[in-house]
Amino acid sequence: MEDRGREPDLTSRLMADMNPELLDFLQKKVNSFVKWDLIRFFHDNPHTTDTADNIARYAGRSVETIRTELGELTQDGVLDENQLGEMVVYSLAPDPKTRELLQQFVRASDDRQFRVKAIYHIIRGTRQ
Amino acid sequence: MERVKTGIPGLDEMLQGGFVPQTANLIEGAPGTGKTTLGMQFIHHGIVACGEPGLILTFEEFPQQYYRDSANFGWDFRHMEQEGKLRIVMTSPEVSKADLEQVGGRIEKLVEEIGARRILVDSLSHFERLSENSAHLRAIVYGFVNALKREGLTAVLTRENAALLGETEETDDAIAFLVDSYTLLRYVEIESSIHKALLVLKMRGSNHDKGIRQFEITSRGIEVRAPFEGREGIMSGSPRRMVDSFVQAFVRR
Repeated sequence: MEDRGREPDLTSRLMADMNPELLDFLQKKVNSFVKWDLIRFFHDNPHTTDTADNIARYAGRSVETIRTELGELTQDGVLDENQLGEMVVYSLAPDPKTRELLQQFVRASDDRQFRVKAIYHIIRGTRQ
Repeated sequence: MERVKTGIPGLDEMLQGGFVPQTANLIEGAPGTGKTTLGMQFIHHGIVACGEPGLILTFEEFPQQYYRDSANFGWDFRHMEQEGKLRIVMTSPEVSKADLEQVGGRIEKLVEEIGARRILVDSLSHFERLSENSAHLRAIVYGFVNALKREGLTAVLTRENAALLGETEETDDAIAFLVDSYTLLRYVEIESSIHKALLVLKMRGSNHDKGIRQFEITSRGIEVRAPFEGREGIMSGSPRRMVDSFVQAFVRR
């Protein structure tokens, strides 16, 4: 009979077969559904440079919702924040390694199994 | 004179060979008349037939929309981006304007990176939200258009016209004075059927065909065809046969 007490917890089992780099990216940089949306937005629009207001409009979110997330993605090196005249604008960071991870993440999230795992992780992360 | 060919059958002949290099060319029409298709065809032709990479600056649609729309005509814009011959940039008028006003801005870098020679701006109508003052709006667009020319680009600028048929609303049309050529795309109703008409209203520094031509959006893109024969009042949207007008004018009842 199976010894359930020795089984790894559900998260560990869910994440066990996930690429460690992607798992790290998910845990440290994506970690919210708004960020997930923003990451997908910048993946689909890699040459976009725009203000928080306009990005919110394109992404179908309120600017209050995304402002903090844009700031955190900037701190985490996913986005660049620059002053353009009187405007603060955001664009995808040029670092090739980050862009590659972002590409991998978006591609992987086309797979339902990966999405389920990622959603579980984000929900779990936001509860902690 | 050197010309920038659009690759659109019939249109280049109307333009005496194509657009004048490093000019701003306004394409105006109602939704669905083919403004964006014309612009995409201009960009596509530049890349595949003239070795001139292009930029698409969009204020509305995501790049995916252009990938999908261009694929309908057999143009692989996604592949062209991967090859570094095309960049589709979604942004806003205020950011692109500010960007072009600084040295070494993002658009300038993209132009340098791919060696862009052509640009499609889709659409200029979005600049209208930057100012309600027509003189201020004119100054904004003037600065933007000049910045594109400074980058050495030949530009196609689209603009929405809300009127589907008939006379367009009277507007303070400052933008039409700023561009080097102005082409109108219109729907025309003839015998209970909708046709499309194209008219080159102005072309600075060059002669051009003043005729009102029929055009079609085919599986290969836009094709400009023969002028509307034997009809008048085409741009009103409801043309009359000239013989009817003659009867109305000269035959006593």
